[in-house]
Amino acid sequence: MKTNKLLNNKMCAIIGNEHEYNGLLPLTSNRPLSTLYFDCKYRIMDFALSSVVNANIKNVFMIMNEGRIKSIFDHLGGGREWGLDSIGSYQYTSFYQDILRRKAEGKTYFDDVIDYLQKSKATYTVFISNKILANVDLRAVLKIHQNQKNAITAVFKRVKREDIANDDQILELSENGAITDTKKFNDLSDKDDIYNLAMGFFIANTDWLINALYVGQNAGASTSIEEFLISELTKAKASAYEYTGYMSNIYNIKNYYKANMNMLDPEKFNSLLFSSQKVITRTKNEVATYFSATSEICLSQFATGCIIRGKIDHSLISRRSLVETGAIVKDSIIMGSANIGENAIIKYAILDKNVRVDPGVKIEGTTDKPVVIEKNKHITADVFGG
Amino acid sequence: MKNEMLAMILAGGQGSRLKKLTQNIAKPAVPFGGRYRIIDFTLSNCVNSGVRNIGVITQYQPLVLNNHIGNGASWGLDRLDSGVTILQPYSSKEGSKWFEGTAHAIYQNIDYIDSINPEYLLVLSGDHIYKMDYEDMLRVHKEKNAALTVAVIDVPWDEASRFGIMNTDENNRIIEFEEKPTEPKSNHASMGIYIFNWSRLREVLINGFTKNVPMVDFGKNVIPAYIQSGDNVFAYNFSGYWKDVGTIDSLWEANMEFIDDKGGLNIRDKSWRIYSKNPIAPPQFITQTATVNDSMVVDGCFVAGKVEHSILAANVQVKEGSTIKDSVIMPGASIGKNVKISRAIIGENAVIGANAEIDGTKEIAVVGNSEVIGVKTDED
Repeated sequence: MKTNKLLNNKMCAIIGNEHEYNGLLPLTSNRPLSTLYFDCKYRIMDFALSSVVNANIKNVFMIMNEGRIKSIFDHLGGGREWGLDSIGSYQYTSFYQDILRRKAEGKTYFDDVIDYLQKSKATYTVFISNKILANVDLRAVLKIHQNQKNAITAVFKRVKREDIANDDQILELSENGAITDTKKFNDLSDKDDIYNLAMGFFIANTDWLINALYVGQNAGASTSIEEFLISELTKAKASAYEYTGYMSNIYNIKNYYKANMNMLDPEKFNSLLFSSQKVITRTKNEVATYFSATSEICLSQFATGCIIRGKIDHSLISRRSLVETGAIVKDSIIMGSANIGENAIIKYAILDKNVRVDPGVKIEGTTDKPVVIEKNKHITADVFGG
Repeated sequence: MKNEMLAMILAGGQGSRLKKLTQNIAKPAVPFGGRYRIIDFTLSNCVNSGVRNIGVITQYQPLVLNNHIGNGASWGLDRLDSGVTILQPYSSKEGSKWFEGTAHAIYQNIDYIDSINPEYLLVLSGDHIYKMDYEDMLRVHKEKNAALTVAVIDVPWDEASRFGIMNTDENNRIIEFEEKPTEPKSNHASMGIYIFNWSRLREVLINGFTKNVPMVDFGKNVIPAYIQSGDNVFAYNFSGYWKDVGTIDSLWEANMEFIDDKGGLNIRDKSWRIYSKNPIAPPQFITQTATVNDSMVVDGCFVAGKVEHSILAANVQVKEGSTIKDSVIMPGASIGKNVKISRAIIGENAVIGANAEIDGTKEIAVVGNSEVIGVKTDED
């Protein structure tokens, strides 16, 4: 008989932030992947955090990279929008580099994580790697995890080869769905068309995890908790959960661009943002977006606070952007506070925050190689190519 | 600790002139400008003026209003040294405290005001669209050593007979007050914004009600009593955009003026922001079949039709083939296919079925909150 029924379903969460990709530069030169803009008003981290709070998890441990925290805290603030500022909610942060340093010094390096897990008094622990864009219902995953009576459950999705990064982990499954092997995508000798991509979402029994981390750090396990959990999938009693909703794996400019543009497909937009799981982001006080008498809009999305006087075609326009008369924005992503002058032409481009484009200037890339304009840049002459 | 100025927002009016729109919500809670509710302007003015203690007096249908204001976090009023308090009529040993007028509502809340113990009491209406610095008004109030300062705005002479008119002398002292005079002597209209020295007002109200000279209304009773008793009553001249949105026509007009800022409210000015409780909704989606011109659109909208000189508030849907012109669509309303809407206000969560026609050419058309017009098909 269980003695503490009340805590039976309690979960806590660890959100990692270890992935960094050169392919996303310059968008990630001053921010971690998790605070990249997505679809006019979101940041990548909103999806992980929303999954967590939608599952009524109030206890969150975030592993961050040193020197990369400004944009995270700027976005998170006091956590009010996610309900992380209310009674019974706890947020902890820790630096990944501390874990690395302690390992290099020959010390035990998962102490902070273990300490957090012990204090959480949660029966289950969720781990999210914080780079995948998906709307995962963690309570549904928990149900399956409980039914399987295993130590750990990994969430995966069947994904095409071109949507997988070299450092992504692939699950090999037997006919009855058991995990038989795991491999880094880069280490696979011959490549098929479809793979079981481990999405970096796990649910583990907390007691088991604490013990595994103890044993792991004494045996020199990977400092990356994600890699550590993957390595445990073939050692411990583990099962796999197939996610069937919308997912984007973001690791270079091309698939970042594609993931955003996918939101102009109403089916994908609805699947990710109008599911039963609300995606929460930071709210801002902005005026409604104003479309002037000269504006021409075709298949585009807008956040609030914009003034649109030009032509917008198949593009995403973030908060507080100004597009002047005669300007054309086509197949492009415009992040917040852009100022696009009269008759400027922008095609296949990604404008980071706060970019100013002078009147008449052309910025043109291609579908495969969108031009990226860095944050705060003032563009005074034409920019072509990618 | 003594708090210098406490604001009391009168938000209890039924707003019967807004007809269907206030059937189930208080007038100050009526949506405005796509992103706001009317009371946001007054609340934001308070915060921007450094007035951080606010009582909101409610009475009629307060549910939506209470929910909107909450603990005041949206306006930064949830700090330790500030607060917004919803004041609802209640019963006590002295009987029921239902409010019979503006001044009576203040009288019934003396206990609350005493608990804050302010030097000055700022009395505001919750149903005006404007930006105003109450701190500057307080400065003038102190400078003139006034017992009462009334904010006034100059209205066109031919409209003056619709307002409470303040007749002033060369020092801007109010020497006479006339409620809706047939032959106005001045065009200084009261904006329903007052600063009182609280100790004096407290005395006047208690005296009046205990001696059976009821001080029910500020306009009808209190201001004339102040003038008659020789108290220093001064006018404070305001000259910016100000709109009382108490009627369907004025609410529609104010929304239309808001679209391209013809009225000069300067809503995008960052130094005087208007705050609101912001819902979380995905970005607005404008499809290839849509045209949107001279209009304001907010998060969560899905637009496939034609929108011209109109405001679409959060989560509004406009299906293909529909035309919306010179209209205000309030949050959550759904407009089906091939609908024609012109010069109308469509209430929150209203549903307009396919092929419906709503024409406000003669008189602004109003569809109530959650009202269903025409037949809703599955496709809608």
